[in-house]
Amino acid sequence: MTVYRCEDSLESVFTAIYLAYEEKRDHMDTCISLTKDPILFAEDVYVMPDQEKMNKVMRSLYRIFGEKDYMSLCMALASQDMGKAQAVYRTVVNGLSARCEAGHLFDNLSNDEVHRAFALARGVGREIGHLREFIRFEELKNGLLCAKINPKNNVIGFLMPHFSDRLPQENFMICDEQRGIFAIHPAGQQWYLFYGGEQELELSFALSAEEQEYQELFRYFCHKIAIEERKNLKLQQGMLPLRYRKNMTEFLHNK
Amino acid sequence: MEYLNVGQDLPLMEKLGILANSAKYDVACTSSGVNRKGNGVDMGNCVAAGICHSFSSDGRCISLLKILLTNECIYDCKYCLNRCSNDVPRATFTPDEICRLTVEFYRRNYIEGLFLSSGILNSPSFTMELIYRTILLLRRKYRFNGYVHVKAIPGADPELIYRTGFLVDRMSINLELPTAEGLRTLAPNKHRKNILTPMRQIQNTITENKNDLVLYRNAPAFVGGGQATQMIIGATPENDYQILSVAENLYQKFDLKRVFYSAFVNVTGDKQLPALPGGPPLLREHRLYQADWLLRFYGFRAEELLDEKRPFFNVLLDPKEDWAVRHLDQFPVEINRAPRELLLRVPGVGVKSANRIVAARRNANLTFVDLKKLGVVLKRALYFITCSGRMMYPVKLEEDYIVRNLTEEQERIRFGNDGMSYRQMSLFDVGSFDQPVTVTDKIQAAAGQL
Repeated sequence: MTVYRCEDSLESVFTAIYLAYEEKRDHMDTCISLTKDPILFAEDVYVMPDQEKMNKVMRSLYRIFGEKDYMSLCMALASQDMGKAQAVYRTVVNGLSARCEAGHLFDNLSNDEVHRAFALARGVGREIGHLREFIRFEELKNGLLCAKINPKNNVIGFLMPHFSDRLPQENFMICDEQRGIFAIHPAGQQWYLFYGGEQELELSFALSAEEQEYQELFRYFCHKIAIEERKNLKLQQGMLPLRYRKNMTEFLHNK
Repeated sequence: MEYLNVGQDLPLMEKLGILANSAKYDVACTSSGVNRKGNGVDMGNCVAAGICHSFSSDGRCISLLKILLTNECIYDCKYCLNRCSNDVPRATFTPDEICRLTVEFYRRNYIEGLFLSSGILNSPSFTMELIYRTILLLRRKYRFNGYVHVKAIPGADPELIYRTGFLVDRMSINLELPTAEGLRTLAPNKHRKNILTPMRQIQNTITENKNDLVLYRNAPAFVGGGQATQMIIGATPENDYQILSVAENLYQKFDLKRVFYSAFVNVTGDKQLPALPGGPPLLREHRLYQADWLLRFYGFRAEELLDEKRPFFNVLLDPKEDWAVRHLDQFPVEINRAPRELLLRVPGVGVKSANRIVAARRNANLTFVDLKKLGVVLKRALYFITCSGRMMYPVKLEEDYIVRNLTEEQERIRFGNDGMSYRQMSLFDVGSFDQPVTVTDKIQAAAGQL
């Protein structure tokens, strides 16, 4: 058995898939692991991430399986689950050997590995959907809009296209507090990711003068729009899980 | 533009409070139906699925900034908080205030756009013009490209409705009450004809506009997200069958995108209105929404779900379960062979899981374990389906038995929350008995490996 040992990144996993095909491995007897857990009687291969190989794999996956399924594979790889690399690898192998057409990669859900990748992608997709709804920007003194998130999965890269399309002429920034990733969008330009601490960004998180007023207005609006006779906190919690609330204006009291 | 002076000089916070409070009973306020990418300059885009930005303490979504332009009203509808004979604080927004609130809330990602309705100030046309000018200001001066949903005011000049339609994504006119009779008693100033005329006008213009868009790709879109309406449930004595038939008619004859049902909340205490000691009829509203989905996505017709003899929905069973137990002659359905239309009629199988079943059974023979993976709710479905000719458990296809099992809490627990139960395995439960024999199997059997 061959085990490709990868880092937790798209680049590394896609390189491993490239290698598995290049070295003509028996796919039933090969796996990709993101952890260092030893496997008995297995040959370990440490993968050096390679941009060119990643691009090749991404291009072919996009061409063969279509945009939607390709995005699902990428989403599955953004999950926090450590079995994701193996699930994606097996799904790709399955799709290629069955000659799946574009948009049909995840049809064979009775297959455990395909279902696993599908479930991971669905989980990440849900979190992206939630954050798209629940992110709250705050205006800082210099006019920059700043939002903080604490997602389970590494979703920041999937959020930016939506917001940069929506707010093209704004300077805004989303920061993933747990992972220390900052996504920055300068007005009218392409967005980019920044890995590092807050210190390096030299930011002061002082709010602008108007910010307090609008936060208060929105809090009041949310309070007024509820119908007392229909009060149903359980339903509210089902729709808006508690873990998102610590970054949401309407659930925070005046700072 | 002239305004009444009343409530003009209130602070913004107070106005927002009053006018959000007055708008909260309007439920036709989704942000869906339009996919529009940003243009790289103006603020905003639209997502067809709609985005709910928050949920208030009643569990309803806050998607748009839902406000009235003014809660001044010359009408005296008995159910309405803003009726002219009601003594409530009154306020009116200026167009600039509305635009500023919308844009500032939008850039902070609080809302998906604006929902603007209004009380009737002076006359319907006057009010409609105020709405038109506000939206024009929002689109032209504030360059807002996000979602805008407005109410068309019944009785307003058709020209104003036509012009407003080109600025907004969705328009709705409230039917208010399901029958003309109910409308006459509770809303003496409104007439059924006045409501249906602009609805028809919008429908016709949308159709014309669609033809134009085929010819000229960049022609301005008229009400791209379609139109919606709402009905109040429980204020008048109509039965569910009447309400559902009205909704079906609206979908078929007026091409509506959505019909909303609003459980009646008695806010005015008028003597002609029913007192509701048990709170608003929320379960009834819920059943109507379930049936509404069955009409739109599952291929049901209103007269299949209800009829003159049984005009109300079952309280214990949802409309699909109710239909299924009354049509046991069509069950059980074989998952691996049944057409999609029939799968959609099985309780516990939704649109997504039906699609997944159709896709997945091309690759493999599906078992009950697979169905769970595909998202089928087995605790509801198991009475109505077979996989490869076998039912999940030995159950009787008998109405009383199934109803008892579907409704009784204790019976459900037997199957666990996910509909799976745990029992001694038999030899024939092993999955490989269902699989066809492959070449590998034959070779392995011949070589004594199996």
